[in-house]
Amino acid sequence: MSENSHKVVIAKDLEDLIPVFLKNRHKEVDTLRVALASADFEQLRQLGHRMKGVGNSYGFERVSVIGKQIEDGARSGDRAALEACIAGYADYLAKVEVAYE
Amino acid sequence: MSELASDLAAADRLAVAQSSFRVLIVDDDPDMVAFLGHLLAREGLKVDAEYDGQAALAHIAASQPDLVLLDVMMPGLSGFEVCQRLKADPATALIPVILVTALEDHASRVRGIDIGADDFLSKPVNREELVARVQSLRRLHQTRRELEGRRLATEIGHKEAMRKTFTRYISPRLADRIIAESGDAPFESEAQRINVVALFADLRGFTRLTETLEVGKVVAMLNEYFAVITDAAYRHEGTIFSMAGDSLLVGFNVPFPQPDAALRAWRTAQEMIAGFSPVLASWTARGGMPTGVGIGIAAGEAIIGNIGSPHHMSYTIIGDAVNTAARLMQMAKASELLVSATTYESIRGAVPAACVEARGDVALRGRSGATPVYSIRL
Repeated sequence: MSENSHKVVIAKDLEDLIPVFLKNRHKEVDTLRVALASADFEQLRQLGHRMKGVGNSYGFERVSVIGKQIEDGARSGDRAALEACIAGYADYLAKVEVAYE
Repeated sequence: MSELASDLAAADRLAVAQSSFRVLIVDDDPDMVAFLGHLLAREGLKVDAEYDGQAALAHIAASQPDLVLLDVMMPGLSGFEVCQRLKADPATALIPVILVTALEDHASRVRGIDIGADDFLSKPVNREELVARVQSLRRLHQTRRELEGRRLATEIGHKEAMRKTFTRYISPRLADRIIAESGDAPFESEAQRINVVALFADLRGFTRLTETLEVGKVVAMLNEYFAVITDAAYRHEGTIFSMAGDSLLVGFNVPFPQPDAALRAWRTAQEMIAGFSPVLASWTARGGMPTGVGIGIAAGEAIIGNIGSPHHMSYTIIGDAVNTAARLMQMAKASELLVSATTYESIRGAVPAACVEARGDVALRGRSGATPVYSIRL
């Protein structure tokens, strides 16, 4: 798997769960943006923490990495870094390609 | 339900529990619940889910899982608080809890150990690790269930043996009560002085009958007779203290209080005489000598306790009420019940007046003064 190619290899038995998982990630981007707009750093921290836990559980390592960055950014109150993370997250979700094996 | 029946039902529940293993997943993230549930279901486990701590506690109170997979960070009640409550409640303390924490969150693990969590799982979740930890606790759980099943079976056997012993003296219902309340017989307690109602029953003329009958016939007839009168005593929860020859001593208000003890004794006497009637008819038809049950009932103070020597003890009652009942029984004719005045006052509302005859003050052997006696013909 290469992060740059946005290609993710997921265990075949999880295939049925992935559409809902990705749909929820897209919703998550919206929620993150709203939280950032209202400077709700506690919610941003919680969302980042959740992304960190769930992302790589399914095999989406990049989601966990971005989640950790959001959690850290929320702790430090770094709006610019958070904005960049959320944009990067949206871009990743738009381009991610899933393969099952 | 009796204590033993309840134990057997518990053993049945145990057998059912062993045939399936239910995991409750508690996490506020639906994707994490779906992921964990999917992996556990693949292992053949039954999976339920709750999305917050309060709902998890309500779920567990209504239907206990065999294992709880509990996320630490949840809005409302945290996983720590849920785990703490489960471990503090004896009813749920033994349910294994796996806390799901962030990999680097060592402080959470330490706190989890403090509050009694059984194991930990890191997020992101490694599927092999998840399955291994759950299966490990499943094996532990099954071993514990098996041990509990064996312990329960031993306990049931022990209680059944106690019950058999007790029912030689008291009614099965009283035996169940003793076993349920203390596990030990009140027979072991110190001797005490209490008010009792003593009932003596005897087969009139039977001693003479035994001199002319074959031994086998005598025993068979006595067994028929005692079957009827002990059943009557047990129905009214009397305690049988002695069975000698053809006489029987039954106590009421002992070992447990019976506010209606005199009425119970009266009904027992009624049923003894009525129940013996067809037996007597059968004996008469077979050429036996006419006989019948004579009964004496008296109320008063008595000493109850284990009386005897270190080699032979007898749980019995002694005292004026017992002596008076014995004397009244000796005076009673077949199908007659003689009662002391105090006893009669307690039961007069239940006794048909036409059956009662005041005998006046009667001098009873071994008692100073006269005893007012009433005869009730049944």
